[in-house]
Amino acid sequence: MSELSPHLVVPLVLWGTLVGLDLVSVPQAMISRPLVAGTVAGWLAGDVHAGLRIGVVFELFALDVLPVGAVRYPDYGPATVAAVALGAGLPWQLGLGLSSALGLVLALLGGWTLQLVRRSNARAIQRRSAALAAGASSAIRKLQYGGLLRDAARGLILTLLGVLLAGAIREHVRLDEQTQLALTLVAIGSGLAAAANGAFRSTGRSARFKWLAAGAGAGVLLGALT
Amino acid sequence: MNGRFRAMLRLFAVQGTWNYERMLGVGMGYAAEPLLEDLKAVDPVRHGEAVARSAEFFNCNPNLAGLALGATTRAEYEAVPGPQIVRLRTALCSPLGAMGDELFWAGLVPSLVGAALIGVVLGAGWWAIAGFLLTYNAIRLWTSYWSLSVGIESGMRVGSAIGASWLPKAIERVSPAAAFAVGAAIPLVAAWYLKTFGWSAGIGAAGVAMAGIALTRWFAPFLTTVRFALAAMIFLLILRRVGV
Repeated sequence: MSELSPHLVVPLVLWGTLVGLDLVSVPQAMISRPLVAGTVAGWLAGDVHAGLRIGVVFELFALDVLPVGAVRYPDYGPATVAAVALGAGLPWQLGLGLSSALGLVLALLGGWTLQLVRRSNARAIQRRSAALAAGASSAIRKLQYGGLLRDAARGLILTLLGVLLAGAIREHVRLDEQTQLALTLVAIGSGLAAAANGAFRSTGRSARFKWLAAGAGAGVLLGALT
Repeated sequence: MNGRFRAMLRLFAVQGTWNYERMLGVGMGYAAEPLLEDLKAVDPVRHGEAVARSAEFFNCNPNLAGLALGATTRAEYEAVPGPQIVRLRTALCSPLGAMGDELFWAGLVPSLVGAALIGVVLGAGWWAIAGFLLTYNAIRLWTSYWSLSVGIESGMRVGSAIGASWLPKAIERVSPAAAFAVGAAIPLVAAWYLKTFGWSAGIGAAGVAMAGIALTRWFAPFLTTVRFALAAMIFLLILRRVGV
């Protein structure tokens, strides 16, 4: 993406909004997985290859997240879309690091905005507690539509902010080639650490660890053969 | 569109009003509305009470929420005393949460994501992503339909219906698949990225990965992998700035 033209920003922001909604609210169809969000964002920005490379790095980070109960986690969906807006059109070896830095900051911000939406939902429920206790279906519907609207607004604002920041960084930040390459290697290394952490945590020392080790062996073998 | 189908569609937005007080409660109330419509004509007072109960605190994995929704709706139509229905809802939270999280978040999703990553690395591109989305959503759609149907058919006996179902066996089988797929994906993805950089860069990235694993374990929960990555990037920029 060479400049912030509306015909690029609008589809990216709409896609980021859908991706933001998908994470928790509706429909949880997994379009918010960075691999999907990034590749589609790359296609929208005219560089599927960059979208795929950036999406895979964020997918490694997302493998460290187990969204159970009331656990707090970063929101990688809109963050990946914004990262792709920054990295599209650049050689991936140079663009991946800086894109990841932007995306990771936005992912943390996204996780924080999820808490804001949840608190806002709770306040809305408190305001309608009498109607809920009386069994008013209309109150439930209003609360539900309000919750969805708040989450959609969250995804929209987050993606718009990210895409605008991506435009500003492309315009004003100048890094030498060595620094860009080093940032890319740090992003890849950190992503691998995140995925490995997630895998170790979910397998523990149980029988599943043997499957993890067998998979890693198969992966190394396949990597050597291809 | 019949009530059951509308309720199933609404279950896809069951977390639409997620909050720390009622958690999925309001979303469950929203999904229950089409199922409770017929009760309005039969017993309006009972209908009001049932609607109020349907939106009370509830939490479980969203993909298995249909079991609780169906069971409590059936109980409302069978005029089971309200406190007993509330107890059933409360009792279902933990098992449906644990089973659903184990099946979907710790099993199916990492399995399919791992497979998709392997597909991408091996050059399948869009096909790998489409395969991931189609497989996940087909399984999830079927599970949602099954959950709601079993819940409605079994009512207060939903606990034994869950125990006798395919769920426990599926959880047993999907866990090793998830571990294997993610285990295979990590070295393949590493090679996919690093083969263009050469050995020294590969060793550098591996060093970052090792440091990330060690430090995030030692300084958990404060130092997450995202914070580690950002700290490492800032450190790198400072080093480059001072000319290292």
